[in-house]
Amino acid sequence: MFGWIVLGLVVALAVYAVATYNGLVAGRNQVGNGWKQIDVQLKRRYDLIPNLVEVAKDYMGYEQETLKQVIAARNTAMNAHTPAASGPAEAQLAGALGRFFALAESYPELKANENVRSLMEELTSTENKIAFARQHYNDSVMAQNNRIEQFPSNVVGRLGGFGPHEYFEVPAAETAPIKVSLR
Amino acid sequence: MTGEGRGGLVSTDFEAAARRNRRNTVILIAVMIAIGAVLAYLLGATVESAEGDPRFNPAASGLGLAFALIMIAISLIWTLITMKAGDRIVLALAGAREVDAAAAPQLHNVVEEMAIAAGVPKPRVAIMETEALNAFATGMSRDHVAVAVTRGLLNSLSREELQAVIGHEMGHVLNLDVRYGTAVGVFVGLIVLLSDGILRLGRFGRMGRARGNDKGNGLQIVLVILLIVAAIIAPLAAKLVQMAISRQREYLADATSARLTRNPLALISALEKLGNSTVPYDRANRAIQHLFIVNPFRDFSATAGALMATHPALADRIARLRDLG
Repeated sequence: MFGWIVLGLVVALAVYAVATYNGLVAGRNQVGNGWKQIDVQLKRRYDLIPNLVEVAKDYMGYEQETLKQVIAARNTAMNAHTPAASGPAEAQLAGALGRFFALAESYPELKANENVRSLMEELTSTENKIAFARQHYNDSVMAQNNRIEQFPSNVVGRLGGFGPHEYFEVPAAETAPIKVSLR
Repeated sequence: MTGEGRGGLVSTDFEAAARRNRRNTVILIAVMIAIGAVLAYLLGATVESAEGDPRFNPAASGLGLAFALIMIAISLIWTLITMKAGDRIVLALAGAREVDAAAAPQLHNVVEEMAIAAGVPKPRVAIMETEALNAFATGMSRDHVAVAVTRGLLNSLSREELQAVIGHEMGHVLNLDVRYGTAVGVFVGLIVLLSDGILRLGRFGRMGRARGNDKGNGLQIVLVILLIVAAIIAPLAAKLVQMAISRQREYLADATSARLTRNPLALISALEKLGNSTVPYDRANRAIQHLFIVNPFRDFSATAGALMATHPALADRIARLRDLG
């Protein structure tokens, strides 16, 4: 009788351990996949920007400086390969794009152009997708870190070698308000 | 309302909701198959009693059992079809047409944005050609979902409001409300169809008339009455299931929308626009009315809080969203 109880407990424990381990693996893959999703959207942004700048050039004769800044920021961001370098570069690009969008408001012909409108929609959507992909990445990281840190799944996590994941931190420049010059 | 928040804005426990919906879908399909089998048995027994065989036993009618088995087989095939193509059946019932990215670029973009935020594959996108303001999602799993919106919605909502509405639909996808709702819609339709057929048979066929004056006569009348009562009650029961779809789901989907977009104000203004529109969408089939973000038939401002409504009053939903902000 006692033997059966012990056996039952061992089996229950093993089932729990396997289920938890598999859950942790699925969570880790979800976090990894979330990070890749961000990259996919960033790549799309790099592809869209030259097209938009090309079309906008004809309308925004006086704003060459802004357009140059957008292109320069895009190239820097594209060539930043380490996470440490890409954070500030991405922030700069987002800032330059923000200024471009703000300026575009004062060019009615630019906004009326069908081509520009669809490019703007694509770029707006891509900006959103980047933000949502980061948000989802952070949500996945939180769920996974909770499992790794909470008892009793943390025991399985420790034994399986699951480490906590890092959150995506918003670069400081992106949280700073955009300076608007009225002149 | 920043893009990257760490904590959830509100507690939106999809996994518990999704588990409930998986379980409820299984129960629902089992009950619907049982109702169908009982109806078919009664029909078979009534037909057999009309033959006037003195050894006829209503509790073990051969024809009744045969009918019941056929009905169960039909229901199982129907279940398989629902699993495979439930979303397409519902789109057809709603009069929604699938569109590609070239035909509706912004709608496709917004749907993809919300799918990314929710971490699910991008649903298929459909449009209902009407000035009414409405939207729904349907599908039997998170990987095979379609989202449909009306043309009027696309025309009168801003990009952010559209995003909030799609976020609400994505909430139904995450909670698997879409699975339960699609199953209810498709099976309510089947039961209504079957009962309709039986009642029509009774009206025009010979089933209700006794032939000759055998001993089975009294028994036969009882069976006919039973059958007719069952054929009237079954669709009512199916409708009750549809109405009992918890209104809690709408609140949870609203909260999920706010969690995904981090922008409850956009959903509030979208719901206000939906509430101010007076155009009904009567091309929708009543079997799927519970799937819509606002009821396509009823006047949702006044009596929507009543017991039988499939949707909570918009004012309640807006009040709850304001509490989040």
